[in-house]
Amino acid sequence: MKINAIKLKNLRNLLKKNNLEGLIISDFTDTKYFLGDFFHEDESILLITLKHIIVFSRSLYEGSFKQKYKEALFVSEDKNRPEALVKKVKKLNLKKLAFDENKELYSAAKIYLKAGFKESSSLISLLRITKTEEELKLMRKATKISMQAYKNIQKYVKPGITEIELKRKLEDEMARLGGQGFSFELMVSFGANTANPHHVCDGTKLTKNTAVLFDWGAKYQEYCADMTRCFWFGSKAPKEYKTILSLVKRAHDKAIKEAKCKMSGAQIDNISRSIIDQAGYGKYFTHRTGHGIGMQDHELADISQLNNEPILENYCFSIEPGIYLEGKYGVRWEDCFYMTKKGIIQIK
Amino acid sequence: MNEKLKQFQKLLKKENIQAFCVLENDTIRYLTDFFFYSPSDAYLLITQSKVYCFTKKMYSADFKRKAPYITLVDSLDIEDVCKKASKFKNKAFDSTLAPYVEGTALASCGFKTRPGFLEQAQEVKTQSELKIISKACHISARAFEIFKKQLKSGMSEKQGAALLESIMQTLGGQGLAFDTILAFGANTANPHHHNSDRKLKQNEPVLVDFGCKYKGYCSDITRSWWFGSKVSKEWQKTFDVVKEAHDYAATLAKDNIRATTLDSAARDFMDKAGFDSSYFIHSLGHGLGLKIHQTPYLSPKSQALLKTNSVFTIEPGLYYDDKFGIRYEDTFVLTPKGAKILTK
Repeated sequence: MKINAIKLKNLRNLLKKNNLEGLIISDFTDTKYFLGDFFHEDESILLITLKHIIVFSRSLYEGSFKQKYKEALFVSEDKNRPEALVKKVKKLNLKKLAFDENKELYSAAKIYLKAGFKESSSLISLLRITKTEEELKLMRKATKISMQAYKNIQKYVKPGITEIELKRKLEDEMARLGGQGFSFELMVSFGANTANPHHVCDGTKLTKNTAVLFDWGAKYQEYCADMTRCFWFGSKAPKEYKTILSLVKRAHDKAIKEAKCKMSGAQIDNISRSIIDQAGYGKYFTHRTGHGIGMQDHELADISQLNNEPILENYCFSIEPGIYLEGKYGVRWEDCFYMTKKGIIQIK
Repeated sequence: MNEKLKQFQKLLKKENIQAFCVLENDTIRYLTDFFFYSPSDAYLLITQSKVYCFTKKMYSADFKRKAPYITLVDSLDIEDVCKKASKFKNKAFDSTLAPYVEGTALASCGFKTRPGFLEQAQEVKTQSELKIISKACHISARAFEIFKKQLKSGMSEKQGAALLESIMQTLGGQGLAFDTILAFGANTANPHHHNSDRKLKQNEPVLVDFGCKYKGYCSDITRSWWFGSKVSKEWQKTFDVVKEAHDYAATLAKDNIRATTLDSAARDFMDKAGFDSSYFIHSLGHGLGLKIHQTPYLSPKSQALLKTNSVFTIEPGLYYDDKFGIRYEDTFVLTPKGAKILTK
């Protein structure tokens, strides 16, 4: 397997810009960004220098790794991989190395600092924020699987089924359609549970005339889908439920229409938030409008008041305004998008 | 207070630690039974008599309901942990499970590093943990019986793995302990094979290594069998030795025995049976719990002693490049009467 040339080139450019000879990559998702699915968690460190790609991992993998990645070096180390890395770097006579201060473990960082390596901010997170065409393709596939599965399981939405049972139906159907794991712990909530934006599924049974909310997403080749749908189960939806549902849908659609390339995350957040504010429900919209998404369901590219950085071409993020009335019900409407010069396009 | 926190506080007393800070999400879940969505949503500070949880406001209502014996602090500032712990002299954190930034802050306010402490603390399971792990193992074992009947020639390794995973989920599994390995034919010779589009044919070996999670806890099984009726004699002989080595190693397990004793016994067994144990290219087993690999490690260089109520795998294997490989694995709990299979 070839390690993606665009990703490598982008990283090496970033290294040069930061006056570095190499970067130590130990975060599990960051290593997968380059190597794909190969190791378990906490089993490998990846070192990418201007010239080399070196992996430090368990001896067990040596044979199969060398077969799969011909362009990378493999260093067998079962115990102390940071020490092995320092030794190898000395041999290669490299000096200007850095580790990610936000993702490194304390014990490893101490070893790197002692060897004279530097702290750096999350360079790989910065790379991951801009998606390649290939990555967008995988995210579309994950989204298609998720949406199809949701449609297929609607027949099970019947009185008596529990949240956990319905969640399993959805998980099962996504796996059957080719999904490879889940972007996060899926959420299926009934009734007043929908008012808790971080509800954990339980044995609550579905009854007629209650609110239902699904927040779900499949993974496909490491890439995440994420979406939320909600509806009133039964014919007697309260007036206020209808009002807040149409309000969040409008807030969602307005952001899609008006978000422009180079707007800040805060500006896009404002588009959705102002509609809900004006209708008097501002204090019940208790979270940000959206989050970045890619190999993880939460990445950089926050659509929130706290993000004053511009949202640029091929950044991916969710738009998911919500309103939560504690003790009664909550609504949220969510899709994922990527930014283009001409505005945002839904990943679907 | 739940059993696990009590056990942890006992350990603190024994080690003479007055306060311990836990920063890692899985360990926080282990100790509190509470699930935080993001890996950096909470810190725990555990003293010999009290437990504090530092977290975001969003979790507080739910947390108070589920863990009323833990004192909530509405802050995610590590400096506040320092302040709360300022009166204690002997305080520590696990440097192998602490992010660099937070670890640095703790170290500078007097916390000492205790690498590996949290993994060690999870080695001996409580009764409620054993119940959950048994359930995870049972689901996996039951799923295998169904899967073996449904696996057909023409199915690819990837399709077969998806089928098995879906059966586990239907039986109540909650996600995977690790990515399923399903290998056909000569692919079985690679212990860490990555599932391909290769299709199953009649009369060839199959190896599957898999496990579901249940309430966050892992299970782990490997089965090898011959698909079709014309079983190769060479394969069968090898299988018998691997299975016997597995059974034999299990009979040796008892409280305080060295893990290396079991590992070398399995290798000696193979050698004595006329099979060169240098083809057994990995360690005999590993502990598991919330994580799929944790202490005790049953490997040639392991320092571990097996303890009653610890949970581990025994998984000998023999691998012949380009021909076939065989591995046989169960998850065990060590009881006062010896090792008991959970994956059944």
